[in-house]
Amino acid sequence: MNETAPVESQGFYTEDMTISVGPQHPSTHGVLRFVVKTDGEVISEAIPDVGYLHRSIEKIGEKVTWHGYVPYTDRADYLAAMFANQVFCMAAEKLAGTEVTRRGEFCRAIACELNRIASHLISVGTFGQDIGAMTPFVHALRERETINNLMEEICGARLTYNYIRIGGVGYDILPETCTRISEFLDHFEPIVDEFNRLLSNNKIFIERLAGVAVVSKEDALSYNLVGPNLRGCGIKWDIRRDIPYSVYPELEFEVPVGTGRVGTLGDSYDRYWVRICELQESCKILRQCLKMLPKGPAIAKVARKFKPPVGECYARVEAPRGDMGFYVVSDGSEYPYRVRIRTGSFTAMSIIDKLSKGIMVADLIALIGSLDVDAPEIDR
Amino acid sequence: MGVASYIKDIKDTVTSVFEGMAITFSHLVRRPMTIQYPDKIPVPIQETLPRRYRGILEVDMDICTGCLACERDCPITCITIGIEMDKATKQRNFTHFDIDVCKCMYCGLCSEACPTGAIRHSQEFEGASYNPAGLVRHFVTQPQPLYKPKKGGETDPKLAEKVDIGLKYLDEFATPDGGAAAEEG
Amino acid sequence: MQAYIDQLIQNGYFAGVPKEVVYAAAMVLAAFIVLSVFVAPLAGVTSWLERRVWARMQSRVGPNRVGPQGILQWLADGIKNLLKEDLIPSAADAKLFSLAPYVVFMGFLCTFVVIPFGSSLIVADLNIGILYILAVTSLVVVGILMAGWSSNNKWSLLGGMRSAAQIVSYEIPAGLSILTIVFLAGTMSMQGIIKSQGWAPWDWFLFNNPFTFAAFFLYFTAALAEGNRTPFDIPEAESELVAGYVTEYSGMRFLFFFFAEWGNLYVIGAVATTLFLGGWQVPPITSDPILLGVLEFVVFFLKAYLWVFIAMWVRATLPRVRVDQLMALCWKYMVPLSFLCLLGTVCWMLVFPKGNQIFSVAMFVLGLLIVAYFFKRVLFQIRHARPELYFKPHI
Repeated sequence: MNETAPVESQGFYTEDMTISVGPQHPSTHGVLRFVVKTDGEVISEAIPDVGYLHRSIEKIGEKVTWHGYVPYTDRADYLAAMFANQVFCMAAEKLAGTEVTRRGEFCRAIACELNRIASHLISVGTFGQDIGAMTPFVHALRERETINNLMEEICGARLTYNYIRIGGVGYDILPETCTRISEFLDHFEPIVDEFNRLLSNNKIFIERLAGVAVVSKEDALSYNLVGPNLRGCGIKWDIRRDIPYSVYPELEFEVPVGTGRVGTLGDSYDRYWVRICELQESCKILRQCLKMLPKGPAIAKVARKFKPPVGECYARVEAPRGDMGFYVVSDGSEYPYRVRIRTGSFTAMSIIDKLSKGIMVADLIALIGSLDVDAPEIDR
Repeated sequence: MGVASYIKDIKDTVTSVFEGMAITFSHLVRRPMTIQYPDKIPVPIQETLPRRYRGILEVDMDICTGCLACERDCPITCITIGIEMDKATKQRNFTHFDIDVCKCMYCGLCSEACPTGAIRHSQEFEGASYNPAGLVRHFVTQPQPLYKPKKGGETDPKLAEKVDIGLKYLDEFATPDGGAAAEEG
Repeated sequence: MQAYIDQLIQNGYFAGVPKEVVYAAAMVLAAFIVLSVFVAPLAGVTSWLERRVWARMQSRVGPNRVGPQGILQWLADGIKNLLKEDLIPSAADAKLFSLAPYVVFMGFLCTFVVIPFGSSLIVADLNIGILYILAVTSLVVVGILMAGWSSNNKWSLLGGMRSAAQIVSYEIPAGLSILTIVFLAGTMSMQGIIKSQGWAPWDWFLFNNPFTFAAFFLYFTAALAEGNRTPFDIPEAESELVAGYVTEYSGMRFLFFFFAEWGNLYVIGAVATTLFLGGWQVPPITSDPILLGVLEFVVFFLKAYLWVFIAMWVRATLPRVRVDQLMALCWKYMVPLSFLCLLGTVCWMLVFPKGNQIFSVAMFVLGLLIVAYFFKRVLFQIRHARPELYFKPHI
């Protein structure tokens, strides 16, 4: 980075200070680096430097079979692994024309909404931690432990599930697991209220976030923000509603949008509040799915050597961090020809430079946390 | 900034801090949620894991048919199997069956591919080792014949027990077409 | 203590040695005793207690392996840090870098000279006691600026500058609240302030009039800000500046900063107890001097340690304020309110020269009601959200 030249102002020379936030930093949500130019406390430029967590997941897609690639999709965003599984399987199914069983669709919805709760818990917990409140973080992680235990019962793994397969789901959800899930929901909804009383309504927290890094509707659309970042600006766009997939057309749920609850519409608090509301909506969805879970096979009959016909396909789902899309190209063999992953965090990096002009270093940390960027999603 | 908003600021701060401190105090007097592994737990932790837990892989060589389905299905090529024809007895033997545990993704695709349930995920997860060579598990110590499944069930009682365990594992774990459990549930 | 030494000299113990040398040796010995017997274990145990208290507030357990209930954890940490490599960055200013932790440590340690542990347990009862504490704790600013500058690291520099601004600003509300009490007591000597209060809660300065009640909370908040504690721990804000002004420190030098911080918590509690909570005053239940001394020591210690616990509790609950909000809080909210409390107390003293017993008792009852309402809210939280949900073991 070329150093800024000293500038003469009011009779003495001043120089902007170039700091590197990361890649080893407690709150950049993974290995991310920002090269920040500051004048004292006020930032004049913040350029993200990504690629520290690049693992060539897209290239690996060309070397393994269709079934074998599903565990790799887990690692594309390990906090929201179910969604990556699901969107890849949806793309493969669309190519091959496979019909997913009804019970499989409901199992997918249950697993995905549980994973959404887990991912949002980490997001709001680490956001509180970045602002300085250490207790809500541990409370959120405690709740996530219960979800991890549930996932362990369902599919045997706590983080990288390999659960959603082409044609349905890998393992069936047994009745005792369903009972445990509804017990968890009964226990979880008051905990969200307690979390709000502890953190969301705290005056210091509100003062830190109200009016900070406001994203206008036009900016959000032109920089292609997705997910809670977009809904926090007041735009009601949710893939589950607007481009429906799976069983979501049959379920009743609200799409929370930011309303400028404290401070301005589109500020950091709005994005955070949308995530808290989504926690409560996911609980509603889960209850409906558990009630409507039909009997039947959990997975359709799919060939061991899966060979979809030649073609290309794009599928998208509403992941916790926004719209996650998989573009797959098949050349008729049992290996994909090309897999391309589109994630919401990567596009959110571009708006950070624009938003960070004129705010302080502490606000930059709040901004990164409120956008819920996630290094594995950015670098893949 | 008027006087009203000034006083409201002070009031909001005091009430939200009061409420927050009440919440943290309420947690102080409750039982903590920590499970103090490994010494202060009532049963070994492996017994508390669910049946489907995907721990470190183990292979029961006595019922392995050498079909190489697991080696083919593994997405990260952590399984290496060697089979050789013994010229003298005209029998095919295993020379090696190695699983590189640190490469393994614990995805479960190999155990779903196995026809007899020989390769399984155990409940073990404590695999730390001081020596990197210790992380490659060798399941064949001396050349061992392949298993030939008998039509009409297995007659040797010891082998029959192993075959049963393998098939039960497959029922629970690998349900490619839904299986009986889905019908009941 | 001077009287005791004079008595020893008169009895002929130090014949041939000039009086000043005896005094100097006695002072060094007293400082060493206070430091090693009281301050060091206190700071260490405070660090252990802080970790346990935070852990229980976060539904987890905290250090409980080293020694019974983990009480020797601080000793293990201290020994580990002593054995670490003494690392001074090559581009750093080595002399200032090594000196900074000691300046900070000195700033907090010198206050122990005037802390009144009991009616006769005080190293030196200076007649400017509280002013001396205020002056000596400002040395910490010099130490922190030295640490931030000499590390030759932009993060540390930011942390050091923030801290200097913070500590210097918050001296004012703290000083004004202290001045309120000095007016009421009529003296700046610590023992004098305690003696002008009584042992009963309604005789404490805290419940004397509503203005001192407010002044107490202003003093406590300002003292937390001076001690770099959350919600004002910006200089060492972990998640923003890596570690602020202590980023380049490792080993024992690193620990010295935190040693000073935990010990400072006790000083905050001790000063709050002295000024507002009646110090070591106990009901006259015994006249045996040794028993009385022990009782006074225990009462003072418990009162001071309650505020240490509350400081830890506040740290576990609240997020951090931003630097400009910190300054706004100080200059726009706390300084005017402190002035208001000061004027209010002075007017109260004019109207009620001997104090108003009825009002004090009423204030005390109000305080009890606030505490009762607090525990009612705690019960509500416990009943409303139950985090104890165990799904393991799967038997």
